[in-house]
Parts: sequence; C-alpha cells; structure tokens
Amino acid sequence: MNFELQVKLAVYRHFAETGVRPSCDQVAKRLGTPADEVVQAYQRLRAQRVLVLEDDGISIRMAPPFSGVPTQHVVKAGSLSYFANCAWDALGIPAALHQPATVYSRCEQSMEPLRLEVGLEGPASSDWVFHCVVPAAHWWDDIVFT
Amino acid sequence: MLFFRSEVQVQQWCRAQGYIQRPIVRMDQLWVLAKTWYATRLQPDSRRPQPHEMREIFASCGLKDSFWDPEADNFAVPGS
Repeated sequence: MNFELQVKLAVYRHFAETGVRPSCDQVAKRLGTPADEVVQAYQRLRAQRVLVLEDDGISIRMAPPFSGVPTQHVVKAGSLSYFANCAWDALGIPAALHQPATVYSRCEQSMEPLRLEVGLEGPASSDWVFHCVVPAAHWWDDIVFT
Repeated sequence: MLFFRSEVQVQQWCRAQGYIQRPIVRMDQLWVLAKTWYATRLQPDSRRPQPHEMREIFASCGLKDSFWDPEADNFAVPGS
C-alpha cells in the first residue's frame, strides 16, 4: 500500500472513529511517520481531489463525505456525531459507515428542520428534495461553494 | 448542494438568490448517488468515479439531463 493511500485511510478512519478531523500530528502518530511527510501527502491528496485543505495547508476542511468544520448538516450514527459537507454528503456518511444514522439539516428556503432516518437500505420515505445550482462539470471549480 | 422541503421552496430560493433552477433530485435518487460515491470510501480500493462512470451512475437513477454530465460545459456557473 503506497504512503498516500495509508495517509488517506488514516484520515478517514480517524473521522469515522471520532467524528472530527485529525490533526497532522495525529495522522503522523497513527502511521509512525514524520509529520512533514504527512503534510506532503496531504498536498498530493488535494491535487487528486481526495482532500480539501484549509489555507494553512495542514488542516483538513473536507474529506468527503466528512467535513472538518461545523456545517448545517449533522449526522448521528451510534454514539457519534458527524458534520457533512452538503446534503449529498449527509447521506454519504451513513453510506460510508455502513451504519444506520439520523440526518439533521434544514430546508434552505423555509429553514424548516429536517430529521431523516437512514437505514442500511436507505432513507425512510420522504418527499423532501435535493437541489444543486452548480453543474457537474464545475463542481470542483469551487467545491466549498458547490 | 442543499435540502428543500419541496420544489416550490426550491423555486422561491432560486428566485430570491438569483440562481437558475436546476433539476430536482428525490431522496431515493440521492441515496443511490451517496451509496455509489461513498460506500467504499473507508476501504483501500476506493476511488472516485471517472467521468464516463459518473454519466452512467446518474443515468441509472434517472438523472439524464446534461446538467449531470461532468464534461459538459454549456452552463452558466453561479457567481461567474
């Protein structure tokens, strides 16, 4: 397994196990490797659109579907709580964890709260809808806006 | 990428924000996308879908509009 893949898995496993982003030092400790090598791997993973980093180049903003920062999309699975980057990723977290979860979000127009139970076979029947203003060809032009 | 209570709420929001309304996606369709993108994300062999695979995935759940084509470039982009 190459080093980038080890770093990617360490990041994702930390998110899955804790609900929050790992620091560079935590990833380095998990892998038993120097932190500067983790930082270099982060840059390569960013270029591959695996991670989105903060401006400091070392803090993880997104490891889709997980968000490294608080958002309006909260997913509760087991005893843990996660932030998702967007509505799509809010369903992506139970899909990635292979665990039932409850998604808490809102209607962006009316601000009506959404509570959606998601089982292993998908969400409970719901007439809520999903909408994206950015065409697929441009999602990564500004992934935070998307 | 946001949730809305109904298509009417999407229309109102797009009008208020000055955005063009795009295709509406149902929750069952969104689950197919979420599962396809992320079900293997924590595994070593996970990879992002390539453009031709994305087109197939979208089409398989009824999203055939060119809005979903990752290589189409005939749309105005919000904010540009």
